[in-house]
Amino acid sequence: MVVEDDADVREALTEVLTDCQYNALHAANGAEALQRLRAADVRPCVILLDMMMPTMDGWQFRAAQKSDPSVSDIPVVVLSAHASGSEAAEKLDAVAYLAKPVSLESLVSLVERFCAVEQE
Amino acid sequence: MTDSKPWPALLSNVQLAFQGIRDYAIFLLQTDGTVASWNEGARLIKGYSEAEIVGQSFSRFYTPEDQLAGKPAALLARALQEGRVEDEAWRVRKDGTRFWADVVITPLRDRDGTLRGFVKITRDLTARKEAEEALRQSEERMRLMIDSVNDHAIVMLDSSGKVATWNPGAERLKGYTAREIVGQSFERFYPEPEIRAGKPRLELETASREGRFEEEGWRLRKDGSRFWANVVLSAAKNERGELIGFTKVTRDLTDRKRSEEAIVERTRQQAAVARLGLFALEQPDVGAVIDRAVATVRETMGTEIVAVLELSADGKSLVLRAGCGLETASIGPVPIQLASPEAGNGQAARADAAQLGWQAFRMGGVLGKQGGSGMTVPIRASDPSREAHGLIEARSRAARAFRDDDVNFLQAVANVIAAALERRVMEEQVRAAEQKAVEERARASQVREALRERDEFISVAAHELRTPLTALQLKLQGAERGLKAEARQPVTGSTVETRLNGALRQTERLSLLVERLLDVTRIAAGRLELALDQFDLAALVRQVSDDFREPAAQTGSELRLESQQPLEGCWDRLRLEQVLVNLLSNAVKYGAGRPISVRTERAGERVRISVTDEGIGIAEADLPRIFTRFQRAAPVRNYGGLGLGLYIAKHIVEAHGGRVEVSSRPGQGSTFLVDLPVAAVQAVGKRDEARVRA
Repeated sequence: MVVEDDADVREALTEVLTDCQYNALHAANGAEALQRLRAADVRPCVILLDMMMPTMDGWQFRAAQKSDPSVSDIPVVVLSAHASGSEAAEKLDAVAYLAKPVSLESLVSLVERFCAVEQE
Repeated sequence: MTDSKPWPALLSNVQLAFQGIRDYAIFLLQTDGTVASWNEGARLIKGYSEAEIVGQSFSRFYTPEDQLAGKPAALLARALQEGRVEDEAWRVRKDGTRFWADVVITPLRDRDGTLRGFVKITRDLTARKEAEEALRQSEERMRLMIDSVNDHAIVMLDSSGKVATWNPGAERLKGYTAREIVGQSFERFYPEPEIRAGKPRLELETASREGRFEEEGWRLRKDGSRFWANVVLSAAKNERGELIGFTKVTRDLTDRKRSEEAIVERTRQQAAVARLGLFALEQPDVGAVIDRAVATVRETMGTEIVAVLELSADGKSLVLRAGCGLETASIGPVPIQLASPEAGNGQAARADAAQLGWQAFRMGGVLGKQGGSGMTVPIRASDPSREAHGLIEARSRAARAFRDDDVNFLQAVANVIAAALERRVMEEQVRAAEQKAVEERARASQVREALRERDEFISVAAHELRTPLTALQLKLQGAERGLKAEARQPVTGSTVETRLNGALRQTERLSLLVERLLDVTRIAAGRLELALDQFDLAALVRQVSDDFREPAAQTGSELRLESQQPLEGCWDRLRLEQVLVNLLSNAVKYGAGRPISVRTERAGERVRISVTDEGIGIAEADLPRIFTRFQRAAPVRNYGGLGLGLYIAKHIVEAHGGRVEVSSRPGQGSTFLVDLPVAAVQAVGKRDEARVRA
């Protein structure tokens, strides 16, 4: 699942994942992400989480996610344009940190660590 | 020979046997052709009841043309002669409509051979006839279409892949005439390595298995030249599902491929410059920036030789500062000869960008003796009245053509180097200031404050640039994968196109951001220049408001415009548009989905534009700082952005001799008021004279 407020970045990330045969959900902020997570038929295998977002930011989302046992164990990868992104990832107990600008290879190899490609 | 007496026994038997048959008209004719019996099928097909038709001549079933030609009698005569006659032709119903009939007439004879009459069996084949006609017409249309299509090669292959038909489009595209190619294997359209790899066979197999195969790839013309083709192979099967051949539609996409490649190349260059710019923003070491610039040019342009030559301190020679692909020792200082443009006026010539460019041209590129093809651009000072910093040259050993895009790319790299060099100068000033700290403590702290602000600026700017750069990079890499067709599933041309358009949109976002950053630099340096023009400000307000109606509606806000027409005056149109765009985008961003109103009015020699929202508003304590750099009242975690918009807007309005005011209450919304003089400066003559310094 891609949680990112910038529509262009969200679209680009989702597109690349779809190209690689993943079924990617997306949300524009933390609140929308929680809603989609709880309504999803198939649990996402990883969440790519932007930090700076309106309505509910990355920190608030992570807190809410951790307190909901039905989704708390989904691994989170922090996505940030800030130099402090890796610190944030550590504080949030994220499994990895992707620095923007994200390259296609690093994105794909990271997602491969957590997700099997859906069989057609 | 004939006997026209009725034959009661036979008649009643026949009638009994055929009475109920509905699909065929089966009836008896007397020897002279009058109708002697009738059945249900005859009633249904021809429309006459038994009572109406018995005793009438059968010639009334024929068309007037056939009657005139004597066809009814001729058919009876042939039936007698040949023992049977069959005719497929138009017949006429009772209501005058025609139907396509299959008619069989057989003579009826006694045991002793005396002719007693005829049996006539008629089938209505109108539906079949119509279907055949439709088929014939569609085949004709298809043939005409295929022949007239010039930009598609439409070809039929037999099941073994041999060319069976060839259209003019195919001839135009591939260069073979039908005579040359029909009967030949379609493999000859493929490049040799692909034939060896068995690709043509594989494509036929895929098409026959899955019904269809589509791909984009290189194909060969008769003259051996290549073209980038979109090929659709469809299996043609008969009604039993057996393969009878293939249709192959080929389009030449070479032009599209080339322009896509050019866009990819340009976007790749822009992304490389953006990455270099980011690196330069955060890297204090100028040497590292220049090394990275050299590597960026080499990797992006594929030029083996790259050299950055810096103008020496005395301005008399160029010294190799960094480079690759050449022996450093082989390039000593290159003396430059400055042409003195206006000799005799006593002014010393300066090594400005134009002079250096001329120098590079005269020497055939500074590295001309290395051979190959090269291009050189000056590293211009950001202030055009200063000396240029030097030259950057990219050269490949093999001959190649450079395009405008390549020159623009190299110039952009040169600009990054210039900015880094200028920053070094600024930092040297700080060090010098610190040395004199005792007597100039105040000044040092001022410069330090400027540096601290700049660092903060760099961090925000870097963050803002990374967002579109992420989208740009992903779209571009996705499109590149598509073009190379190495994705696990084929990416079609239109997807590549969509991705490229997406990537281009990101480069526009990037350049807009960079433009805003440059505004800040201009304002800080007091170099914000206005280009004044006479125009109707109310029209501009209406145009910008119209542009925002859609984005406002998306957040649920209705945009209302109250505008007094017209507001003629003298301002910088682009700059005021920038102010309006900023105020309206803030209103939409912080407007909480409630109505936004825009008003214009004129009061004497001043005009006022106000933008009012009913959104989250601004706390009183925050009001004074919203017009300063990198400030926003809303939390940065939730609302991104440079925090530069209002800062720039305020300076633009002030440069016009106006002011921006804000009134706001938290939770109730904000009003921004722009107050401008009707004419920014008095009595404007030529446009050039209108340039004023803020």
